[in-house]
Amino acid sequence: MTNATPSRKPKTPAKKTPATSVKKHKPATVLIVGAGFAGLGTAIRLQQAGIKDIVILERAGEVGGTWRDNNYPGAACDIPSNLYSYSFDQNPDWSRSFSGSEEILGYIKAMVKRFDLEKYIRFNQNVSDLAFDEDQGIWNATTDQGDVFSGRAAVMAQGPLSNASFPDISGIEKYQGHKVHSAAWDHDYDFRGKKVGVIGTGASAIQIIPELVKDASKLTVFQRTPAWVVPRPDFDTPDWQKALFRKVPASQSALRKGLYLAHESMALAVIWNSPMTRLAERLGRWHLKRQVKDRWLRRQLTPDYRIGCKRILVSNDYYPALQQPNCKLITWPITRMSENGILTAEGIEHQFDCIVFATGFDVGHSGTPFPVRGAGGRKLDEEWKRGAQAYKSINVAGYPNLFLTFGPNSGPGHNSALVYMESQIDYIVKGVKTILDKNLKTLSVRGEAQDEYNSKIQKRLAKTNWNSGCKSWYLTEDGVNATMYPGFATQYARQMASLELKDYELIPA
Amino acid sequence: MAMIDLDKMLAKVKSTQWSLSDIDWDAPGADLITEEQWPKLKDFMTDLMWIEHVGARAFAAMAKKAPTDTLREIYTYFHAEEQRHANVEMALMKRWGMLDGDELPEPNINLRLIIEWLDRHSDEVPVYVLGTVVPMLEIALDGALCKFLLDTVDDPVCHQAFEKINDDESRHLGVGFSVMEMQGHGATYIKTVEMAAQIANPRVILGIASYFPLLNKMRDNVVAMGLSEEKLYACMEKFEKIGGRTREGRSNPWFQIIKFHSRWMVDRNNKFYHVPVDALVKATSYIPRKLLPAVPSWVKELTYEPTA
Repeated sequence: MTNATPSRKPKTPAKKTPATSVKKHKPATVLIVGAGFAGLGTAIRLQQAGIKDIVILERAGEVGGTWRDNNYPGAACDIPSNLYSYSFDQNPDWSRSFSGSEEILGYIKAMVKRFDLEKYIRFNQNVSDLAFDEDQGIWNATTDQGDVFSGRAAVMAQGPLSNASFPDISGIEKYQGHKVHSAAWDHDYDFRGKKVGVIGTGASAIQIIPELVKDASKLTVFQRTPAWVVPRPDFDTPDWQKALFRKVPASQSALRKGLYLAHESMALAVIWNSPMTRLAERLGRWHLKRQVKDRWLRRQLTPDYRIGCKRILVSNDYYPALQQPNCKLITWPITRMSENGILTAEGIEHQFDCIVFATGFDVGHSGTPFPVRGAGGRKLDEEWKRGAQAYKSINVAGYPNLFLTFGPNSGPGHNSALVYMESQIDYIVKGVKTILDKNLKTLSVRGEAQDEYNSKIQKRLAKTNWNSGCKSWYLTEDGVNATMYPGFATQYARQMASLELKDYELIPA
Repeated sequence: MAMIDLDKMLAKVKSTQWSLSDIDWDAPGADLITEEQWPKLKDFMTDLMWIEHVGARAFAAMAKKAPTDTLREIYTYFHAEEQRHANVEMALMKRWGMLDGDELPEPNINLRLIIEWLDRHSDEVPVYVLGTVVPMLEIALDGALCKFLLDTVDDPVCHQAFEKINDDESRHLGVGFSVMEMQGHGATYIKTVEMAAQIANPRVILGIASYFPLLNKMRDNVVAMGLSEEKLYACMEKFEKIGGRTREGRSNPWFQIIKFHSRWMVDRNNKFYHVPVDALVKATSYIPRKLLPAVPSWVKELTYEPTA
């Protein structure tokens, strides 16, 4: 991912209390689910457009989404902070080129204060159902707490990767030692002197491993597929740069533009198979050869798929960590788990005090995080069974006045997720303003427009590296790519720049 | 042998995994190894363990080049399973007091050369070359050696372990012969030309130069241990019989080459083959170990410990 390692369980999850009586709240203009980057950004832009009747439902007790939940040791963003931030709220004080999760969470919290967003947020409200009331033209969100919040328009900003996923390993329930998931880190567990196993070598794992190896007496890393890893140009921000950005904000905007264009050029390597792809693979192989001298270990760490097909990882300290005397990489297939640890096919039982699952998230290729019921009682998860579909990633036919952030085919492979998010947010503002200005009961995308859009996007996807044969979380089990956007961020921004009323059905209030 | 369903085979492989801890290494019976047997058995087990281990590395190379995802996954498991067999054999050596502390037993020079070749070249050799050689080695060496071992050793733990190993090996052979037949489909002429090109491949030439003396050396070793030469040859003939059962199998040019080689090998009167190859065996025995590079790190992954 081009942001962080996606989100998961709330740090302070809303308690599921039996709803004895339903408490209905006065309908707002816009109802937003989730107070992470997307939800808060949407609220800011709506506010700036003069729409201030907003309710944000947040399942945890604080804001931050991904960056609140992903606070494992070493958690950081793999996009430069000057690009992984909102253009309308730039921060001159980033301490590093690639900031850690704590600093990013601080930025989000500061944004809430700066734009006075807290008044919109209802904390500890975990949405369990979102349903459209056709008669009244409003969306009703029922929460586990027994409340019903309503809005003329609804924005799903709960995050594309918000639920931790455990691997399908036989006997996983038998393991008696301590278990930790990267997305719900146990900060009370003391790893010092412990025998620790890490399952997974993806984006979270390669950040966790260099930290754990400092504390664990023995660290064993289980890898199924090696990823492409490229160097991370990470450095402390010099004081003069911070001063310059404060005095001349245009200089920061210029740097942001430069970073944006540099990342745009990477699309040529990442998305499509081009000479740039070969160059990127060379860079990955050079990085591996420079950092790993042992031929067998290098062989174990060499990817066997085209770069870009899966998420590219950036790290300077992952390969060195694997070569520490107390660290061992295991590439034998895992056969099952036992009371004491993990058994692998070479016949050995690897025993641990603690196992860290850095195994990612349940990706909603076909499901929704909670039931979403549209016009005529249709259910979104049923319609998405064969792969999620939307119009321009943001609207779904049959679900009027509903907007998605990071909906189907909006994932970036080469640029900042926030760049895409800004395009989505501005589109939502346009949509909401259309509903208000034209006093519409429903603004509903036409099915034909959605079908035409998807047929084009799937044709384009067929030519990308993501669909070149490797198995990744971008694809459904049937091989449908319902996750990524096959183009430059600039193309995406252009497609989101205008709301084509001809593609919508407008019903007046 | 009929072609097998590789998807079903993969499921079977996954569902029949076992580990060293399934065997009670302290069960009675270790004392059934006689004093007379002990030194010969130690050399025998060392060779056997190394053969399993080089077999493991060959499967690793085949996994990298496998033509389908299923076959790639099967070979990945077979790589691990051969390693498991080597681990088990090392654990038996430990049980019988044949290990010098935690030290790995030293491989003979011909195995050492094969290890070197596998480490440097095997990943670049086409899958169908190794795909024919490996079944031959499995059926001849593994098959003959394991049978000999069970005929001569009474320790029940050894029998328990080899029952499991033999189950795995039967699946390896099933897949091995099936893949040989898959490679036999299609135009024989094209395949023959491709094969001829591979024989000119320096990597393959080096491999042949290591493989021929290895077989003669192993023959000498097993004969020295009391295994009749005929039993080894009977196993090699089994390769010819099973591999050549179908038209597809027979039209795999690599099968034909290995078949003719095994005929030369079993014919002691074939001086054109045995004189130079035996000379090679002798010549390799003079190679100073110090001249060889350090053993590759995959070798160091062998262990007799059921837990880590």
